[in-house]
Amino acid sequence: MSQLLDTVDLDKTLQAQSPQEILKFAIETFGNIAISFSGAEDVVLVDMAHKIDPDVEVFCLDTGRLHPETYQFIEKVRNHYDLYIDILSPDGDAVRELVQEKGLYSFYQDNHQECCGIRKIAPLRSKLLEVDAWVTGQRKDQSPGTRAQIPVIQDDKVFARPNGTLTKFNPLANWTSKQVWDYIRSNEVPYNSLHDRGFISIGCEPCTRPVGPGQHEREGRWWWEEATKKECGLHATNIDN
Amino acid sequence: MKITLVKKILADGSPCKKCGDVLNKLESNDQMKFIDEVLVADERDPQSPGMKLAGELNVNRAPFFVVERMGEAPEVHTVYFKFVKEVLDQKTSEKEELKEIMNDNPDLDYI
Repeated sequence: MSQLLDTVDLDKTLQAQSPQEILKFAIETFGNIAISFSGAEDVVLVDMAHKIDPDVEVFCLDTGRLHPETYQFIEKVRNHYDLYIDILSPDGDAVRELVQEKGLYSFYQDNHQECCGIRKIAPLRSKLLEVDAWVTGQRKDQSPGTRAQIPVIQDDKVFARPNGTLTKFNPLANWTSKQVWDYIRSNEVPYNSLHDRGFISIGCEPCTRPVGPGQHEREGRWWWEEATKKECGLHATNIDN
Repeated sequence: MKITLVKKILADGSPCKKCGDVLNKLESNDQMKFIDEVLVADERDPQSPGMKLAGELNVNRAPFFVVERMGEAPEVHTVYFKFVKEVLDQKTSEKEELKEIMNDNPDLDYI
């Protein structure tokens, strides 16, 4: 089935649908699908997916640098939904090499890409070789600079198996933070206790901080770095013409 | 097999930095000999050959490679290291691969 999906046409249809409808389509279309759960407000995806398929597979990227509250929350979600959560760890040798060469806080000196690459992207890539589709909690409003164009469904060429296909779903793409939190509250979904202490976006402990009123959640992550200008996209208007 | 590389000119007329990086890698690794044609996707000109090809193949990133084999649908590669591994059948280092993924996909920051 995955080979036959025209993700561009499907995206136009799914853009108008609710996250639950998108998830239902994803789960019913792909048997071999997994949900990426970061231990933050993307728990709404877990809640929605669990209502569609109680045996849905969920995975977490345990970078080894998460807050204790996040580990506790992941465990809480596991117990609350009685879910199988695949906790993925980085390659020990790669982490050891990075730390020996650059120390434990290299990201403050250069940038977060190298550390994230080892602790997050490498395990993610290995995991995605096992599935035909995956689901993320990415939303357009999380970072206007880098997520403004994210589709609801896309052909994931980055992590696809060699000569294979991988489909990525972003059911929350068009939801705002407020909609996510309205869902969490109205459905009594468990959430990470860090949110009650001013954390909006939650990642690794050294790279996450609470933000104040009026600040964008992006300001709580990698705040010492300048926002990088994305320039790899081809201007969609021109392509459409 | 025919391999086409599409590189981009930005809307302000400047060359795309990522395209330059990939071209440099192709040159320094002696891989340009595998590229049969280089097309330009000029964001100022929707009719430029690269923009038309991107539109036809639904590609929204640059640079990208198009691999055409007799009797098969064109194959698009937007990730340099995957192209090198899967099409040129050459080795790449994992460190470089991860770096390219992180640099090209800032949306992965929040995964």
